[in-house]
Amino acid sequence: MKRSRKKPTAEVNLGFQIAPMIDVVFVIMLYFMVMAGAVQVENAHNTKLPGTVQVESSDTPMPDEIAIRIEDDGQVYLNDDPLDTAEAKLLNELASNLNQLRESSDASRSEVLVTIYANEQAKYERVIDVLDALTIAKITNVTFQAGAPE
Amino acid sequence: MAGGGGGDSGEPEFQIAPMIDVLLVLLIFFMSITSAEVLKVDKNIVLPVSPNAKKRDPEFSKHEMAINVRWNAKESKAYVNVDDRKFPDLALAVTYFQEKKKNDPQIRAVIRGDKSLPAIEIQRVMNIIGEGGIADLSFAASNK
Repeated sequence: MKRSRKKPTAEVNLGFQIAPMIDVVFVIMLYFMVMAGAVQVENAHNTKLPGTVQVESSDTPMPDEIAIRIEDDGQVYLNDDPLDTAEAKLLNELASNLNQLRESSDASRSEVLVTIYANEQAKYERVIDVLDALTIAKITNVTFQAGAPE
Repeated sequence: MAGGGGGDSGEPEFQIAPMIDVLLVLLIFFMSITSAEVLKVDKNIVLPVSPNAKKRDPEFSKHEMAINVRWNAKESKAYVNVDDRKFPDLALAVTYFQEKKKNDPQIRAVIRGDKSLPAIEIQRVMNIIGEGGIADLSFAASNK
């Protein structure tokens, strides 16, 4: 009986290597985990342009008009009263005042209409800060006006 | 290799296959959320931060028209791009907006303005949007 003799295994094992694959997957996953933390989500403040809103009924009560003025240096005025500082990012005083005005208007069953008067060289960032304060105060009726209030 | 995580010796064996499954699921999850959010942000524009702004409704995303307003401080000039089309003269954008409004009455203009923009530039863009007959407007802001 002839014994089948095996050749010495000099061949390289080219089988699927799981360990390097896991290493690579781990590195890719870590990259995406870190990137996910730095992701910026784009939100939005929704409004309607003045003069384009259709009136639903003729007996709409007259709204309580509030003027917010934004100066070039970032100082915000609510009906000519300066609120917060020009450097403050969060306009807490403005938000709380607006909230009180909105609550009193709700009590008298009227609506609040806010008009933002931004000076020409006022930063757009400041306009967004004011819109942020309006969102906190739950005021959605906002219009924009160029120049100073009359 | 013993199945069920145990051999004859009684010691549990490390199962590589379920671990790879979990890893791949995690990988796909992080890949999808990263790419989905990064695509929306134009790197040339630094959006103002507004933590209380509302999340955009995905149902309205097909009606949205992005108006990118970039500010070049050196030239003191604003550059307006609408749907990746450049408008050096803003007056030319009116007809474009009118066409868009005609094709989609529910269209919403999303102003993506640089945070250092002067307010007058935003007001100019708003005037043009109004002339184009578009009433619905959004101001894009970053969450952080």
